[in-house]
Amino acid sequence: MSDRKDIALRRAESLQKRHAAETRFRWYGRAAISFGMLCIVFLFTDIFSKGAGAFQQTYIDMEIHFDPEVLGLTPQSTPAEIEQASFGSFFKKALRQQYPDLTSRKEKRQLYGLVTSDMPLTLRNQVMAEPSLIGTTKSIRMIADDDIDVYYKYSYGRDNEDGTSVGRATELQQSIVAELAQQGRIGTRFNNTFFTAADSREPELAGIKGAIVGSMLTLMITLIISFPIAVATAIYLEEFAPKNKLTDFIEVNINNLAAVPSVIFGLLGLAIFINFFGLPRSVPLVGGLVLSLMTLPTIIISSRAAIKAVPPSIRDAALGMGASKVQTVLHHVLPLALPGMLTGTIIGMAQALGETAPLLMIGMVAFIVDVPASVGDSATVLPVQIFLWSDSPERGFVEKTSAAIMVLLTFLIFMNSFAVWLRKRLERRW
Amino acid sequence: MTERFQTVGNPLLEDPKMRVRNASVFYADKQAIFDVDLDIGKNQVISMIGPSGCGKSTFLRCLNRMNDTIDICRVEGQLELDGQDINDRKIDVVELRARVGMVFQKPNPFPKSIYENVAYGARIHGLTDNKVQLDDLVEQCLQRCGLWKEVKDRLHEPATGLSGGQQQRLCIARAIAVNPEVILMDEPCSALDPIATATVEELIHELSQNFTICIVTHSMQQAARVSERTAYFHLGKLIEVNDTSKVFTNPEHQLTEEYITGRIG
Ligand SMILES: Nc1ncnc2c1ncn2[C@@H]1O[C@H](COP(=O)(O)OP(=O)(O)OP(=O)(O)O)[C@@H](O)[C@H]1O
Ligand SMILES: [Mg+2]
Repeated sequence: MSDRKDIALRRAESLQKRHAAETRFRWYGRAAISFGMLCIVFLFTDIFSKGAGAFQQTYIDMEIHFDPEVLGLTPQSTPAEIEQASFGSFFKKALRQQYPDLTSRKEKRQLYGLVTSDMPLTLRNQVMAEPSLIGTTKSIRMIADDDIDVYYKYSYGRDNEDGTSVGRATELQQSIVAELAQQGRIGTRFNNTFFTAADSREPELAGIKGAIVGSMLTLMITLIISFPIAVATAIYLEEFAPKNKLTDFIEVNINNLAAVPSVIFGLLGLAIFINFFGLPRSVPLVGGLVLSLMTLPTIIISSRAAIKAVPPSIRDAALGMGASKVQTVLHHVLPLALPGMLTGTIIGMAQALGETAPLLMIGMVAFIVDVPASVGDSATVLPVQIFLWSDSPERGFVEKTSAAIMVLLTFLIFMNSFAVWLRKRLERRW
Repeated sequence: MTERFQTVGNPLLEDPKMRVRNASVFYADKQAIFDVDLDIGKNQVISMIGPSGCGKSTFLRCLNRMNDTIDICRVEGQLELDGQDINDRKIDVVELRARVGMVFQKPNPFPKSIYENVAYGARIHGLTDNKVQLDDLVEQCLQRCGLWKEVKDRLHEPATGLSGGQQQRLCIARAIAVNPEVILMDEPCSALDPIATATVEELIHELSQNFTICIVTHSMQQAARVSERTAYFHLGKLIEVNDTSKVFTNPEHQLTEEYITGRIG
């Protein structure tokens, strides 16, 4: 009897210890997760608070009199004549008419600096589209210059004790902004430009479309190249290759490749595709090729894992009926392994989407103002665009940088959720 | 190795469907089957019994080269189907397996529809010309396995939704759809209830009119009910082969007697 009691006592004691260990372990886990979540919250708040402004654009309404004399045009002018007209000096004159008090050169320059330097071109396009404007007066909505933009969004109407303001808007410009605001002629609207333009030296005209299209073209090449090669490799290694020293060696190498720093793939791409094959620099085609090299091991490894996870009994069943090896793989193994392969592919693509270093090596860091139309056009990609903007001194690019990060994160979250959804959707239980 | 063991009874037949001589199987360096000589008669049912791990499944898998799928497995000796050497590297295993079908120990339907499971073999071997013939074949095979009534309304639902016993009968239907000459069955009834077992046994009986069947079983009653000959394996050796009635009433070898009276296994 006493023996039993002793055992019960010991058990109670050890039970207590185990419970304590379990509780402790739970808390370690919670602490780890909290730390991770804290970092994410911090990152997101930082990015959002900085980047949200980029989705708004400051505009200024100005009455413009399309003076036929200054322009040297009539409503009957041909497009060629409109093309010839000097909209630059016309626009400056039109602005001066609004503010006749500003006479010194310095003051005039500050006046012109209120709106984007692109304005004469925009006006010409408007007249081109609608020649009847000539001779009339119209209120034109203009994109504000980036200095005015950041001043209006971040400093105007707020008390700054030390009297400083964000951006480089001068005192004169600040007073004009105040006046415009009183008349209700300055305000913010959704920033279309950001999504319809490519990069620009002027922050107010810079957009992310070029980078998005560049990223998509690059990813398309990456997908087209890496998916078939990786799947073929994985199937061959798993289902057909004999298990020997050579295949072991290949396996070790593939695993190693997955851990090679991506910048090395960039150097490799530079040596092979650009220097040896003579492909052009900074084009999505080469970017995609380089990123394929980088994503191949990722997709191969996950595809092999997916193939391994197919129960051998399914293969036996097919082989036992007289299906050939290829039929077994195509009819039975592949459909079951596909969800895993696709998930791996999407994760590989997401990695490729966020990759910067190898693309710098092949010159995708160039400043490109056109949205690429094909994989052979010079282009940049989202992460490189972020890198470029974050390096720019203009205050206007700060919010653009964060906004571009938000766009990139959105794409990444979307791709990863799609991978999760796909896995849930296609996964079969047996 | 010691002197070669001599199987008692009468393992050899005249004009057999399959002839096995001197068959040995190795898993890496470990020998699992020792010098087996056995003939399998045409349109006969032969059952293989023996304690767990004695090599019944291994032996069965030699007969349609399923051991090829195991990298470390090596089969030696002479195995013939209708006088044709089937252990030859050069023969087409696809054709061999179409002629020698297999039902596995664990039910392994394809994770596809019930219909697809049965139709698959006919499809890959091009046995039918059109959909109507294929539908007929599927129905006929399911009917023979006593599964038709249970599944006729859900032919296009996943086979993995069936119960274990239904799945096993589906696997049998799938195997006979290819119309093989020999059917190897590895414990086909281990997951079945007595009623389903009776159906399968009836099926085996019926099939034995024009098929040769090798069945591995742990149930001696089943062996007694369905088979004409019985082979007893022990630790990789074929101990005794005789007519079923003789094995169960008057075994020649001591080990056989100990096994069937329940002292080993
Ligand atoms: N894939 C394998 N690799 C290594 N050894 C194996 C393998 N398959 C079977 N063996 C060994 O071969 C011997 C025979 O196995 P086998 O599966 O043929 O037995 P069995 O008679 O079918 O048993 P059971 O009645 O339990 O199914 C066993 O000792 C087993 O450990
Ligand atoms: Mg077995």
